[in-house]
Amino acid sequence: MTAVEAPAVDPVRAAELARIGLSWQPSGQAALRGPLLRLAEECDRAFTTLAGIWQAEEERHPASLPARRLQRVGYLRSFPHQATFAARLAPEESNLDAFLDGPVLHQGGDVAVTELAPIAQVLTPAACYHLFNDHLGETFDAPRYLTTRNTCFRHERYYVPLRRLSSFTMREVVCLGSGGEVADFLGHARAALDEFFDLVDLPLEWLTATDPFFRPQANPKYLMQRVQPVKHEATYGGDLAIASINRHHDHFGVNFDLTRGDEPAHSGCVAFGIERWLFAITDRHGTNPAGWPGLADAAAKVRSGLGGGRV
Amino acid sequence: MRSEQKIREDLRSFVLAKAADREGAAITDQTPLFEERYLRSVHLPELLLLLERLSGTPIDVEDLNPADFRDIDSMVLRFCKAGATP
Repeated sequence: MTAVEAPAVDPVRAAELARIGLSWQPSGQAALRGPLLRLAEECDRAFTTLAGIWQAEEERHPASLPARRLQRVGYLRSFPHQATFAARLAPEESNLDAFLDGPVLHQGGDVAVTELAPIAQVLTPAACYHLFNDHLGETFDAPRYLTTRNTCFRHERYYVPLRRLSSFTMREVVCLGSGGEVADFLGHARAALDEFFDLVDLPLEWLTATDPFFRPQANPKYLMQRVQPVKHEATYGGDLAIASINRHHDHFGVNFDLTRGDEPAHSGCVAFGIERWLFAITDRHGTNPAGWPGLADAAAKVRSGLGGGRV
Repeated sequence: MRSEQKIREDLRSFVLAKAADREGAAITDQTPLFEERYLRSVHLPELLLLLERLSGTPIDVEDLNPADFRDIDSMVLRFCKAGATP
């Protein structure tokens, strides 16, 4: 993969973001504190309030999931360039001694690994994979709505503060049901989001998108996404997707043995990239917290407007 | 390029072969093939090769539009009509 230079970051904006609580590592990690952390938490509260439209059940999952389970949907072949592994040294004492006899760290900061233990866990690539994995083999007699938040890991060619991170926070709301139930959920979700964007004064454009497959032109799943768009992104400023609506058809239902009635369950999800919301809000409304919109109130208003409960 | 009738026959045969597990499937040239899951992602590379062979023109994946594959009518119109945009 050729190295691509990251776009220049506006130093004034970077200083402003640092002042309100962004601590940025050029390797793609963001730490938050102060006003920016409070804004991130408010974003997430707003999204869980929106999830309440469907009375979605909250779940919490670990940082990684078994590669064997993820491979049920061919993840490692579709996204080898994105996969991030949980690795450790092989536990034999001789191997650990060899590690300790070495430099431990190379000068550039890479760990001077000796033999690695077999790698069987993949760090979360998207929060919803855990839901399908954790409900493996279940049958639903009614549509099931779930929500979860996780730190997700991606490898990118370059990183940009609050826009493109190697680890970031994703909140998702997922519907498991029949094809019609999932289509209804996604339709309502899009209407709810449009209203929410309006209330918090964020101008967003819905664009069709594809997942970032490796060698996409040779991957039938990518071709399928070209032929039948399943991903629509709410895009800020022309190029920053801060939320997406995804229709999986029965892809996860078939591969994780999830059934709705006698048929493989369909699924769909709404995903929010929380750090990107911080970028969009501070870009649109400035870095003074007094100017930020009331996200939780707006979400509550959308929820009550849609009947205060399940639509 | 083959005749339109021959192209339609080849496309129908392809779809019927792939949808063989759909009992009593009544597929017409207007049936939405992917929407109704007669065809799935695994069939796409082969379908593209078939369309390239039938039209005698290479297909650039980046030029694909969802409407092009909706049904057999759409595929014939998009890829196999003389003078159709490549």
